[in-house]
Amino acid sequence: MNERTLSYALLVPAFVIVIATTIYPLAYSFVTSFREWDLTKQLRPSGFVGLQNYAHAATESGFQNSLWVTAIFVVTSVILTVVLAMSLALLLRRTGRLHTFTRIILILPFAMSPALIGVSYRFMFNPEFGVLAKGLGAVFPALEGTPWLANPDLAMAILVITDVWHWAPYMTFMCLGGLASVPRETEEAARIDGASNLRIVFGIILPQMKGVLLVTAVLKTIFALKMFDQVVTLTGGGPGTSTETMAFFIFNVGFEWFDMGYASALAWILTIITMVISAWYVRMLLSERKMATA
Amino acid sequence: MAEVRLVDIEKKYGSFLAVPQQSLTIEDGEFLVLLGPSGCGKTTTMRMIAGLEDITAGDIQIAGERVNDKPPKDRDIAMVFQNYGLYPHMTVRQNIEYPLKLRKVNKAERARRVQDTADKVELGTLLDRRPSELSGGQRQRVALARAIVRTPKIFLMDEPLSNLDAKLRVTMRAELKHLHHELGVTTVYVTHDQMEAMTLADRVAVMREGRIVQLDTPKRIYSDPADLFVAGFIGSPSMNLIDGAVQDGRFIAEGMDLPVSLPDRDEVVFGIRPEDLELADGDTPIKGRLYALELTGESTLVTMRAGKTSVCARGHADFEAPINAPCHLAPKTGARFYLFDRATGQRLDG
Ligand SMILES: Nc1ncnc2c1ncn2[C@@H]1O[C@H](COP(=O)(O)OP(=O)(O)OP(=O)(O)O)[C@@H](O)[C@H]1O
Ligand SMILES: [Mg+2]
Repeated sequence: MNERTLSYALLVPAFVIVIATTIYPLAYSFVTSFREWDLTKQLRPSGFVGLQNYAHAATESGFQNSLWVTAIFVVTSVILTVVLAMSLALLLRRTGRLHTFTRIILILPFAMSPALIGVSYRFMFNPEFGVLAKGLGAVFPALEGTPWLANPDLAMAILVITDVWHWAPYMTFMCLGGLASVPRETEEAARIDGASNLRIVFGIILPQMKGVLLVTAVLKTIFALKMFDQVVTLTGGGPGTSTETMAFFIFNVGFEWFDMGYASALAWILTIITMVISAWYVRMLLSERKMATA
Repeated sequence: MAEVRLVDIEKKYGSFLAVPQQSLTIEDGEFLVLLGPSGCGKTTTMRMIAGLEDITAGDIQIAGERVNDKPPKDRDIAMVFQNYGLYPHMTVRQNIEYPLKLRKVNKAERARRVQDTADKVELGTLLDRRPSELSGGQRQRVALARAIVRTPKIFLMDEPLSNLDAKLRVTMRAELKHLHHELGVTTVYVTHDQMEAMTLADRVAVMREGRIVQLDTPKRIYSDPADLFVAGFIGSPSMNLIDGAVQDGRFIAEGMDLPVSLPDRDEVVFGIRPEDLELADGDTPIKGRLYALELTGESTLVTMRAGKTSVCARGHADFEAPINAPCHLAPKTGARFYLFDRATGQRLDG
């Protein structure tokens, strides 16, 4: 065996493992999405039903609800995370002991597992003994006794807030990286040209950050579309179905209702939505690149 | 147009003293060059004038008015940065227009002035490009255009030509000079290129470790350097500086024996410019062996060595001799000598 064939041969195990662990389940779930498979009745998928599972998704109210919940969650959490991360980055950009210290403690929220965040916030918002619920009640008496997680809108708001709390620090680091590559001279030139601080941020710095902001937005969108852990541990999808995100709903369909065919179809719908949105971002990113470097 | 007056200004970064107690007056309409080696505080001084850097002590006055506490935009200055500082997301037109826009100049007037300025620096046809689509020299001109479009009181330029290739630098130098003549705006120009300083300046301030060691016209900086540092910094090739001693009215070093008018002392540095030396025959005061020959086109640089002594002379372009051949140099008639104290760098003569 010469060196070249050997090097290919050595790649084979890795290749096989990748195929077995990603391509195979993907393909299997894709095929399953066109079959009927009720886990309570049989252990193996039964007959093909064509697009029936997909057609069902178009009208079934549980899925419709989860689409809507996910849309609200994605839009609010992405916007809030990116805005907060960018603002924090602008504040933390200067060097100094306090800034460095703040940067370090910013890592903490991101280091926490989402499931743990859900559990701890669930306790903190408990109207009987939660620290946050009690604290808010003490500062604003009107909020005393608010059933935070029992109100659909508040539950959604808390879900969004905990997610922003989790992700904003990480995105702040991405923005700090982006800010470091904005030449200081452009900002100083603007200051001499007569721009106010606000104008410098919006007219000079942010336009140069477009690429970085787009990348953070794509990443955050993808993660938000897959929102699952915190839903399980914080709200359990409730009250009612008000915080049932797509990932959570798909899990229920598959492992509570045991309708694997339908769950596979929904999973593929989620995948396609994610891909379409990502492709749209990438297109924006490419045209942005073209403008910056052409 | 205005005079700039720096009174005892000082800049500390933490405990590091970048510019200690420095005073300097830049006359109305003058082209003043701050010249010095890297890290000597040129940029810091300029940034203090611009207001981009706070001063730790002292006063800055522009046109007779104290501006210490004024933000950059109220000082009526324009600055050209070393890396241009162009706005990458704006077209050339928008870049030039930006200062006018911020100063609420109306649209028609803006368009007219942008066009005028662009024509002045020959950018007229590139207005709709972005900075990334321009060459270095073109970007340089955009930065210039953005600075001159609103006719400020003062121009500050921080090594604006340092990113250009040698040829373009010479062209742009002439353009800058012409522009200054045309606009007559007080200009402070930072460079570490002594050639640039000599050709552009009305006056040169030579800086070292935050201090201005000499402030004078280029001619006098060249012919009458204040100390050893200035003498070695100005001129290309630089002045020959030879360590030796004065005994009985003669400067003595390895391979050198010259009459000088100075009382006896040790630790003396003797200076003479390569232009003031010529190749000669016989018993010359400077003798050694030929070390290197460099043809520069219009002349040949002849380097001679004798022990530790190394002397460079500008000879005729046709001069040729084998390396290590005996070499005899003599001062031309009317040549200037300079004598410095080796320890302090002080001039000992004149
Ligand atoms: N922000 C800063 N913090 C601390 N020290 C600084 C800072 N900026 C400059 N210095 C120091 O001040 C001194 C002067 O710097 P300055 O930038 O003015 O030099 P310069 O003459 O412009 O040099 P160059 O030719 O390399 O641009 C240097 O020793 C530099 O290390
Ligand atoms: Mg500098």
